[in-house]
Amino acid sequence: MVSQKVTVTNEQGMHMRPASVMSQKMTTFTSDVKIVFNGNTYDCKSVMMLMSACIKCGAEIEIQCDGPDEAEALKAAVEMVESGLGD
Amino acid sequence: MYKGIAASRGIGIGSIVLIVEHELKYDNKKIEDTAAEKQRFEAAIEKFKTETKEMADDIRKRIGPKEAEILEGHLFMISDPTMSGEMSKMIDAGQCAESAVEAVCDMFYGMFSKMDDEMMRQRASDIADIKVSLLKILLGIEDIDISKVPKGTVLVAKDLTPSMTSQIVKENVAGIITEIGGKTSHSAILARALEIPAVLSVPNITELVKDKDSAIIDGTEGDVYINPDGDILSQYVIKREEFIRKQAELDKFKGKETVTADGTKVELFCNIGTPKDAKKAVECDGEGIGLFRSEFLFMDNNHLPTEEEQFAAYKEAVETMNGKDVIIRTLDIGGDKDIPYLEMKKEDNPFLGYRAVRYCLGNKDKYTIQLRAIMRASAFGKVKIMVPLVTCVDEIRSVKAMVEEIKKDFDSNNIDYDKNIEVGCMIETPSASLIADMLAEESDFFSIGTNDLTQYTMSVDRGNADVAYLYSTFQPSVLRSIKHIIECGVKAGIPVGMCGEAAADPLMIPLLISFGLTEYSVNPVLVLTARCIISKWSKAEADELAAKVLSLKTESEIVAALKAAAKD
Repeated sequence: MVSQKVTVTNEQGMHMRPASVMSQKMTTFTSDVKIVFNGNTYDCKSVMMLMSACIKCGAEIEIQCDGPDEAEALKAAVEMVESGLGD
Repeated sequence: MYKGIAASRGIGIGSIVLIVEHELKYDNKKIEDTAAEKQRFEAAIEKFKTETKEMADDIRKRIGPKEAEILEGHLFMISDPTMSGEMSKMIDAGQCAESAVEAVCDMFYGMFSKMDDEMMRQRASDIADIKVSLLKILLGIEDIDISKVPKGTVLVAKDLTPSMTSQIVKENVAGIITEIGGKTSHSAILARALEIPAVLSVPNITELVKDKDSAIIDGTEGDVYINPDGDILSQYVIKREEFIRKQAELDKFKGKETVTADGTKVELFCNIGTPKDAKKAVECDGEGIGLFRSEFLFMDNNHLPTEEEQFAAYKEAVETMNGKDVIIRTLDIGGDKDIPYLEMKKEDNPFLGYRAVRYCLGNKDKYTIQLRAIMRASAFGKVKIMVPLVTCVDEIRSVKAMVEEIKKDFDSNNIDYDKNIEVGCMIETPSASLIADMLAEESDFFSIGTNDLTQYTMSVDRGNADVAYLYSTFQPSVLRSIKHIIECGVKAGIPVGMCGEAAADPLMIPLLISFGLTEYSVNPVLVLTARCIISKWSKAEADELAAKVLSLKTESEIVAALKAAAKD
């Protein structure tokens, strides 16, 4: 398993659009992709779970990837969050 | 007549189509053939996706991509493995499709509706909408096809879901009435985007009407008439024509400069209360912010907002205005505005007491926080500082001295700000008016607050019904005061604005043109109306009217003369 901490920078946090962009991209990887936030773990391939985490701008999250393409998945996830999730 | 929330302006007259809510009842029995049930469920999901996608595409074409996002969101949600996956699991375990849909949707509804984030809470209503749509598909309930209603239809419903609103054909729907929903609900937003008059939250309206009843709806006032008599009908036919004519006239002023009939350009700004209102000011074609009331930051809070919190709010408004003027009024509390955590003393005469700049100068530590936040925001646009309730020169000097101190601190710590940031007085007391010439020499600008100026000049408590008859900006004393303030400012070469309600009053505007007001600050929705009225008056005509009005000795004569001269 690989993991990395990253800060959410887009203004409105993990709302509908960023969450759907994120989950769609993550679904293309075979590995499990999870977000750890406030002590809870959320499935990053699920838009509903991402939204239910109520992650706001400025929040620090940890992304964990586990599986055959974990390095690529982690790299993609971190890049997405850092670039503001298309907002 | 019935009253509701005026959610989308205009007059609609037509025949009612009542959208009946179906009871979504089903027999919650254990399923034996789970494979067949799963197939039925999957077919329903596919149908939901196809229909929702069609509606989203249609809205995007007819209304816009932003409005289509709501429905696209529904697609993302239902396609989510946790959503449909959980439902599938329940069906495998023997639950019927309807109860699986209901259980999972209710679970997410509960989760989202409890979140402390407004945007996330809105997702709860999306989930409710998805649930109803899916249950209807499963139960084979067909809704009225709103896209096929005849011309001149007034839609009446408990609530309009986004999926219903999306089927509305603008040309055929004369108005919308609902039992629930507020100014910012989906239905209100779409009604305004489609320019269909709408009155929402009319109690029990779905039980008070039936199909083919005739209805008048006044979306400007929030009034609804069912089966009106001939007199009311003919009144509203005229009102509707008038509204359409005026709207067409006002639309011509969109994107134009504000100029008098003889070509003098003036500034037309907006009054706002929160950073989000700045967007409204831009949408309504405001040329700047003439009054940003900073109290909301303090009132909607349980602690003194920090420099960072205030800075973020001011910066948001400044960035929204994109280089246009933003005049921020510093904390105007006391009087009728109490803030519990500041623990201000109870006073016998709060309007004559420890309020506004008096409180701020007595609590310099708190005031410094606000001034620093405003000045930091000035790095992102054109910010001006407005000091409320000035009564003497010492006050404006003290504030300017504080601003200079902060500048020094910013310079030595390399904090960005606008080095030429302007500091001006809000002129709203008889004392400030009488020494306006002196204050003008010490200020970068004036802004006249007509509400307090009228109250203090007339010595009238606005809230006291027994004396409210004296409260009028058209009293000769108040008019003289306004004229004097503007003339002192103009003579000193500083801009003079007005941010009270009077700046948008059609009767007051010709006088303000005559006196030489340079900036009008109005409620965003009144921008085009004010621009239209200003365009009708030349200085010469306004001067003639002003000379006449100033010779009149009573308020009623003045108002009558102004009404007689009004240009419509």
